[in-house]
Amino acid sequence: MSPSASTDTPAAPADRPRALRLAKLLLSEYFVLVLCVVYVAAIYPFVPEILTWQVASNILGDMMPLLVVAIGQTFVLIIAGIDLSITAIISMAAVVGASVMTGTNGYLSGSAVAVPAAILAMLAVGVAVGAINGLSVVRLNMPSFIVTLATRMFFAGLAIWYVTFHSTSSSIADLPASFTAFATGSVLGVPYTVALAFAIGVAAHVLLSRTQFGRWVYAVGANPAAARISGVPVGRTIMLTFLISGACASVAAMMYASRMQTGSPIAGENILLDVIGAVVIGGTSLFGGKGKIVWTVFGVLFLLLIDTSMKLLGSSLFMIYIIKGGVILLAATVDTFRHHLLVNR
Amino acid sequence: MALTRREFTVATLAGLAATSGMTLAVRAQGTKTIAVLFDGLYSEFWVAGIQIIREDLKKRGFEIMEAISDQDDNKQFEQVRAAIARKVDGIIIVQTDSNAVIPAIKAANDAKIPMVHFNRPPAKTDAFSVAIQADNQKIARDAVTYACEVAKQSGKKHKAAILIGDLGDPNAIQRRDGFEEAVAQFADTIEVVAKIPTEWNADTAFAGLTNALQANPDISFLFTSSDFLIPQIQQALKSADKWHKVGEDGHVIFTGFDGFPDAYALMKDGYMDACGVQNLFYETELAIQAILDLQEGKEVDRLLLDPGFAITQANMEEKAPEMWGYVLWKEKNPG
Repeated sequence: MSPSASTDTPAAPADRPRALRLAKLLLSEYFVLVLCVVYVAAIYPFVPEILTWQVASNILGDMMPLLVVAIGQTFVLIIAGIDLSITAIISMAAVVGASVMTGTNGYLSGSAVAVPAAILAMLAVGVAVGAINGLSVVRLNMPSFIVTLATRMFFAGLAIWYVTFHSTSSSIADLPASFTAFATGSVLGVPYTVALAFAIGVAAHVLLSRTQFGRWVYAVGANPAAARISGVPVGRTIMLTFLISGACASVAAMMYASRMQTGSPIAGENILLDVIGAVVIGGTSLFGGKGKIVWTVFGVLFLLLIDTSMKLLGSSLFMIYIIKGGVILLAATVDTFRHHLLVNR
Repeated sequence: MALTRREFTVATLAGLAATSGMTLAVRAQGTKTIAVLFDGLYSEFWVAGIQIIREDLKKRGFEIMEAISDQDDNKQFEQVRAAIARKVDGIIIVQTDSNAVIPAIKAANDAKIPMVHFNRPPAKTDAFSVAIQADNQKIARDAVTYACEVAKQSGKKHKAAILIGDLGDPNAIQRRDGFEEAVAQFADTIEVVAKIPTEWNADTAFAGLTNALQANPDISFLFTSSDFLIPQIQQALKSADKWHKVGEDGHVIFTGFDGFPDAYALMKDGYMDACGVQNLFYETELAIQAILDLQEGKEVDRLLLDPGFAITQANMEEKAPEMWGYVLWKEKNPG
């Protein structure tokens, strides 16, 4: 053997723990969080504002609606489905809720119950669309991609049409101050939107990791046939994931409508790629059976860090799209390789 | 899997670092910065508008922070907050929705950063900002009145169609109102048979006009709320065998709005009878001056109007040099 061949020998025993630690870090579920920290350190010399309280607060505010929708999407992706209708649910829920509570010819204009009724109406929209999606997948055995694409188109169009009956402009404004305060107010220094998103995140985490329903979700995503034979109510599980996704999109609609002080039929129209991208970047598999809420939180945070830093740099929207698209594509490619490796093992 | 993850990390960071480097190269320090936030560059009007603003600001020694929101109100709000975090000295904004921009105005007010709306005013609000706007109603009324007079002189009755813009845009509403005021004075000559909503979308406009021409084949009077729809109008009229010059049989009396280079070319070639022109150069001057005045603490009115003008077949030679579309057309067609 030549002397140079010695470089191919395994790492010296002293190096092993270090290599092991690095491997552990790379495989850790906190990997994307580490990536966030590294990214902030890398971008800081170019955008020192990224570490100011104001920007951190902006990121937190921008993150919440996206996070809530992404949490719902995580459930659907774990069962190996996809929900493309979330943006249309946001639009539809925003205009329906606004039409109920607006001070200008709203159904309950000026009434004390206007805001609670509007919130219920928004939730009802999300749950109803989720039920249509779920029933179509479970009862009609249709692919979730086609079903949710169809409901997305239908409800996006319906939202615009709905506004024409409720406003002379393209959106519904004059929302009550008690509703718009949801986006600006706080409790004990914690913004309402953050508190609500945190509560939803914790509930979703507990549901997925500590309950029988959570185990069903993973089982259905990993192998629906095996899950059915094992007694898992596959249909009911799929149905519930679409209901959860719809409800989460409704909550995001509340956040957007209160933030923009307007019910707009194009609210959330452009966030679909961000939502699915954030979930996939976090590590949830597009092939189902694998995913965690905490991963989704990190994925959303990472995407928002890229987005915000690029905005601060004054990068064009097209550049931001290209970078985000590239990162999401990389994450999806990694997921595909991982899936093939597991299948071939 | 560890290696793949690492590749992912390295590729991500390398890509981001490269992009950061590129953008850093255009970011200078120590000068005043103006954020220029447009909702899209969907037509020559907006491309020319941002170009004129860019050149004017550079001439005055300002740095520019540009962003396009792609008609996403929430995204634009985030861009305003990023501009505020960058501590810009002023914001020139073109919003999509006049209601949804109000939180952004309030955020700018809180940060004491002057905000000027270029060409589109916000909805009524307590928050303070300055809007630059063409006197759309008057300009549209003047241009359509000329077209109505042409129609009356023909001695025939005319069926009219209007392509209406996005009703969330006050400009679209005012142009529609200007059209209606003009045709109302010629009720004995003009009957409006089609009001076509376009939502400022070329495909929607084409489909709407095609349907209207099929339902009313005798339409002979047309007003478009924006010249950016000219290619679609031309195609629809050609398909209906209605694309003829002034004076030819079957000519549709055609009025445009904005003053695009294409509109000037059609006026020159005799296909368009009149066009309401926004004075883009004047509006840009107003916007930048308003930012400067607000920075100096001077009082500025909430609404600054561009009176604009109507260019017609009768005054074309005299008015063309004031038309921004003519200036751009002349650059492309020297001599």
